[in-house]
Amino acid sequence: MQLFYIARRFGVFLLIVWLAASLNFFLPKLSGEDPVRTKLLEQASLGGYVQGGIEDMVKEYQEKFGLDKPLWRQYLAYVGDMVRGDLNYSIANYPRTVAGMIADALPWTIGLLGLTTLFSFVAGTILGALLAWPGAPRWMRWLMPPLWALHAIPFFLLGLVLMYLLAFQFQVLPIFGGYSAGATPGWTWRFVLDVLRHATLPALSIILVSVGGWALAMRGMMVTTMGEDYVTFAEAKGLRSVTIFTRYCMRNAILPQATGLALALGQILSGAVLVEAIFGYPGIGALLFQAIEENDFFLIQGIVFTVIVALGFATFVLDVIYPLLDPRISYRRS
Amino acid sequence: MHAILPRRDLVKAGLAAGAAGLLPGVPALAQLNGAQSASIPRDRTLVLIKNGGRDGRWVDYELWNPYSIGANHQNGPNLIYEPLAYYSAFAGKLYLWLAESYQYTPDFRQLTIKTRPGINWSDGTAFSAEDVAYTFNTLRDLGPKVKWGVDVNQALDAATVTDPNTVVLKFKIPSPRFFFFATYKYDIGIYMVPKHIFQGQDWTSFKHFDLAKGWPVTTGPWRVVAAAQSQKVFERRDSWWAAERKLAPMPQILRSIWLPNTGEQQTAQAMITNQSDTAYDMQPASFPTMFRGNPKIITHTGQQPPYGYVDWWPISLYVNNEVVPFNDKDVRWALSHYIDRKQIVEVGFLGASQVSALPMPPYKPLLPYFDAVKDLLAKYDTLEFNPQKGDALLAAKGFRKQGNAWTDPDGKPLTVVIISAPLGTFGPAIGPVVSEMLRRHGVTASLLLPPDFNDRFQKGDYVGSIYGHGGSIREPYDTLRLYQGKSIAVPGAHLVNFSRWKNPDYDKIVDEVYVTDPQNVTRLKDLFRAAMEIWLPELPDIQLVQNHHRIPMNTTYWTNWPTADNAYINGASWHLTFPLVLWNLRPA
Repeated sequence: MQLFYIARRFGVFLLIVWLAASLNFFLPKLSGEDPVRTKLLEQASLGGYVQGGIEDMVKEYQEKFGLDKPLWRQYLAYVGDMVRGDLNYSIANYPRTVAGMIADALPWTIGLLGLTTLFSFVAGTILGALLAWPGAPRWMRWLMPPLWALHAIPFFLLGLVLMYLLAFQFQVLPIFGGYSAGATPGWTWRFVLDVLRHATLPALSIILVSVGGWALAMRGMMVTTMGEDYVTFAEAKGLRSVTIFTRYCMRNAILPQATGLALALGQILSGAVLVEAIFGYPGIGALLFQAIEENDFFLIQGIVFTVIVALGFATFVLDVIYPLLDPRISYRRS
Repeated sequence: MHAILPRRDLVKAGLAAGAAGLLPGVPALAQLNGAQSASIPRDRTLVLIKNGGRDGRWVDYELWNPYSIGANHQNGPNLIYEPLAYYSAFAGKLYLWLAESYQYTPDFRQLTIKTRPGINWSDGTAFSAEDVAYTFNTLRDLGPKVKWGVDVNQALDAATVTDPNTVVLKFKIPSPRFFFFATYKYDIGIYMVPKHIFQGQDWTSFKHFDLAKGWPVTTGPWRVVAAAQSQKVFERRDSWWAAERKLAPMPQILRSIWLPNTGEQQTAQAMITNQSDTAYDMQPASFPTMFRGNPKIITHTGQQPPYGYVDWWPISLYVNNEVVPFNDKDVRWALSHYIDRKQIVEVGFLGASQVSALPMPPYKPLLPYFDAVKDLLAKYDTLEFNPQKGDALLAAKGFRKQGNAWTDPDGKPLTVVIISAPLGTFGPAIGPVVSEMLRRHGVTASLLLPPDFNDRFQKGDYVGSIYGHGGSIREPYDTLRLYQGKSIAVPGAHLVNFSRWKNPDYDKIVDEVYVTDPQNVTRLKDLFRAAMEIWLPELPDIQLVQNHHRIPMNTTYWTNWPTADNAYINGASWHLTFPLVLWNLRPA
């Protein structure tokens, strides 16, 4: 692999990050809302009483957050902060830092969406491959219609139905939260099982919806691959059916799935907003939603910047490792 | 191609890295860093779903300094910082707490507060007048940097400690209500902070959170044992000065778990399945469902409408008095006559509310003031639904009805765009009803629930709005000042005049109310009447209904909740007076 190619892809990665981060700076400002005023007024009128001196407080905190400066100076400060990796303070939750808030939320999202994405990928890919394989059991064909039907249902809608059935009617799973009320977090089996139990409902709603998509894509690729000459040749050689299925068909059909997985893993940082909101799951998607509600510029910028870097990096890594995954792909100049 | 890594190894490494990528999440699950007692049974635990969480998380779990702008006293600090005094508007009673007594000079320019001796902070340091003086003086110095700073700065010259239990406050202006301002009631009150912890800290960024150090320190009966995004957990301390002195019973609750709100549907389900003991202000429609699912759930009014108590916050239709034609009192009265309040109660709140004739709640201490203007209210009936009168008033002002729509003398439709808060139980509930009523009587009315409602309403960037009044609960000054255009008695006062109505004669009366002893009910009644003689004919905003807090309370594990028959305090967990509820709950 040529170092020049890697350097060029890395340059593109940096350019994408800069462009997206600049958009990320300007877009929230278009609303024209003042997050400091919004926050202070919301705080002040919490109980219906608006305390004195709100305008003075607004001025004070606009100065503190640098929002009183011209836009170009705010932009320069923002770019400088991003380069240094300083995501600043949350305006609406001062003195909490954006980095701290993201660090709180990210593990939940990675834990939930990372695992469900991987599980859906593995299950969907194997199912899709089997569905296209003539030697698969006949009963498997009955699986596909419900999986496709579930694929058409939004996560959150299925989540509500599952919650009603499993959490409210039969009470076998908790209604909301990351772990039980009063549970003491720690590295104990009891706590880990509690967390898994709480993750089951949101995970189930995501998995049931996603598996169909992966299966559908894999089935299509398998059908194409099974028609290739090398598969016919393998059959003619008398290779075992399992070998042809795994090493000749699946292995060649999986490449687009791998691309999809890399992008899906990059996107999990943006979270499943509605699923997180419905199940009270404290992940990054719900945090972004909240930041937008409050017009918390710094928090929006911090989360989106993190997502941009993650997506850009996932794409960059994918670009770099493609030739390693598939020897047919080469970036050498012919 | 020269591969940096063999392909097979790369795939293996990728899988390993992927798995490792998931692991960093796990340690962070253990971010609760408290020392919870191992086994406290459910029937000695109070589980509470709070309205203060956002989208199912506590974003402020580290913030226990209630003066930082990201912190919110409603989310736990209301248990930690005890006040000089509590006030129950339901009982009409002041409970002196950290303060043993207080005394004004006759000119209300000086206030002497005696603190109770023998109270300790949870780290063993003695609570004293030093803490009180430090709190007030710092607020004065910080001014707009922190909550309540401007209010304190406006009045306070200096707080001086004269002995360990005496602090003397000297005021810049007569301040007969300063002690009451500092008293905890609803969401208003000054949090007394420990000087030995807060001194030298930047109040705007100090969090007062380090469980290893025993922070936040408190004089109250609760210590924070865990705080994270998912829950805040309090446990009862072994001893509490107020219980030892028989001022309050020692709480029976051993642990209190505060969960963030994840939505009304989930909250109702948690109440039905006994996973929660109480919650927040919910929509009337949720209550019959909860009662059917769990007969042990009650409200302030049992299982009967309105399922709650009257909050201090009567709701009005505001019209911007600076916008033509709503600067004309006859136009305002015409709108008032087009509104059938009973229908608002029936349709908007499914019968679970009541009308409101004046912009203050009918609390016991305020009833004499309602009586003082009974005849005026008969003459200027703020609740009268009389479309014919409304039509006559508009016609007399040159408005004409074209088809079913009123137009002004220039032919422009009489238009009211009503804005209200997108969240909450009032705007979305009654906004559509009010705008439809106005439309039926020829007013081109519409409703918007913009996300920047607070900003627009505060700045006067609106024509119509549905909102409440954070005014009086004990005597009429706080409500009257909501309509002051300017104040001479309080120089540099920051006025909250949402209706933007102005009347110099009215202002003078309110200034006189300001310097009148709040205990002098006779004089205050006269002044209130004089103010209402100006206010009522003008009708700066259009009275609609009382606001109710409809809070479910589960009697499965806990009894002695505050109800209409046992109204020792209001039941809002977000208010500063919620500790009184926690002291009074008894195991079922």
